Amino acid sequence: MAEEFEPKIVAFLCKWCSSAGSDLAGVSRMEYPPNVIPITVMCSGSVSPLYIFSAFNKGADGVLVSGCHPGDCHYIKGNFYARRRIALVKKLLEYVGLEPERFQMSWISAAEGVKYTQVIKDFVQELKPLGPQKKLRRTQ
Amino acid sequence: MVNLEELKKEARQILKEGKVKYIIGFQRSSNGLLPVPAFIKNPEDVEKLVWDPTCVYNLTLFLRDEKRKKAKEKEPDERPVGIVVKGCDSRAINVLLQEEFIKREDVYVLGISCENTGVLDEKKLAKKLKGKKAKKVEFGAKDDFVVTTEDGKIKIAAQEVLAERCLECKAHFPVVYDVLIGEKTKRNVENPFKSLEKIESLPPKERWKFWKEQIDKCIRCYACRSVCPMCYCDECVADTINFVVTPDTPAEEKAQKIKWLEKSPVSSENFVYHFVRAIHLAGRCIDCGECERVCPLDIPVRFLNKKLEKEAKELFDYEAGFDPDKPSLVSSFKDDDPEDFIR
Repeated sequence: MAEEFEPKIVAFLCKWCSSAGSDLAGVSRMEYPPNVIPITVMCSGSVSPLYIFSAFNKGADGVLVSGCHPGDCHYIKGNFYARRRIALVKKLLEYVGLEPERFQMSWISAAEGVKYTQVIKDFVQELKPLGPQKKLRRTQ
Repeated sequence: MVNLEELKKEARQILKEGKVKYIIGFQRSSNGLLPVPAFIKNPEDVEKLVWDPTCVYNLTLFLRDEKRKKAKEKEPDERPVGIVVKGCDSRAINVLLQEEFIKREDVYVLGISCENTGVLDEKKLAKKLKGKKAKKVEFGAKDDFVVTTEDGKIKIAAQEVLAERCLECKAHFPVVYDVLIGEKTKRNVENPFKSLEKIESLPPKERWKFWKEQIDKCIRCYACRSVCPMCYCDECVADTINFVVTPDTPAEEKAQKIKWLEKSPVSSENFVYHFVRAIHLAGRCIDCGECERVCPLDIPVRFLNKKLEKEAKELFDYEAGFDPDKPSLVSSFKDDDPEDFIR
């Protein structure tokens, strides 16, 4: 029997909200799929598009960028900049034909451990039927 | 009609008065149809200046070199540089002003209006002439070009041989200038993103096939980067050797430099390069189409930039190069920016 495909997700989590949210999910012993590789960043606005392209290039099946809800940013407006930039990256990736499900963004606050597990669960469910991401992956 | 004599007169005068260091314009080349950039210091040399539909280059590129040269000089000449610009090039000047890369007093802009036409697409003309060689192309009396070949002159409707970007141009006249030559004419462009439609309308699989085929061709010659007036970063992620490496940079430090992408021209690395370039030009690209023209492999690079130009317009109502006092696309936001894609 063939093993089920387990997608690899790289998640850029804002230190102040989403990362704390994932911590909450952890300490509350909520269960969620182990497919995600969390990378804590100082702000969702500090996520350069290059990180995202690089993640796909190095073999991620999906990339998640998660930050604070609008208005809650620790740096006042970092997530607003992120929202604009990520929208452009998303459009560009879709334009060249990458499946739109592979790149997602979410707002998760430090209190939303449940939402975090739900976002990851949904993301994994969406990625499974797509199979491994081979389009942008480095082949050498 | 644009009167070349008017341009020459103006150029001669500012050179005589010593208002500018030199003037960057177009001059006839000894070989081929397209002109070459001219750097004119003496009023006598002004006669060399030309203006015709073959003046496709975006000369604002040389403002980058000028800035670098000036930074190295001990006692720099503080006078501005005269520069001949078309509508699209003037928007490039606006973006450079917006980013404070140049100051307004550093340039003396000699704006030329394209009026109802624009510049030539050499490939389209070659197709049209069916093997005959064009020697000279001039603006005709009314929305047409007069092409001189071995067999004499022929008239061709401008629409047939105009560069794709000119057909979708939003402003045919300079938006920033010290002197304007020609008239500010308005031409209605029904859909400024028409050329994109044929790619956008494809299903995702076909789109991927198309882009894969195109991007795979890339040999990473970086011509698109070199020719772009907006690509003025001193260090580029695309070439690691560019990361200020001096003879005394220790091997350890060199090894620790992050290699975002490999230099080898394979599909995956090419994609990262072109993505980075496209995103870096989002809200800055003024669609001069030079990247596509210089590409030795005919990759439609312009369509990547054009797509982001379209998204910037549709999602954020932002157009590059019209207002140097406005904050740039990615350094500003609105409270009601779309967020329907966010969970």
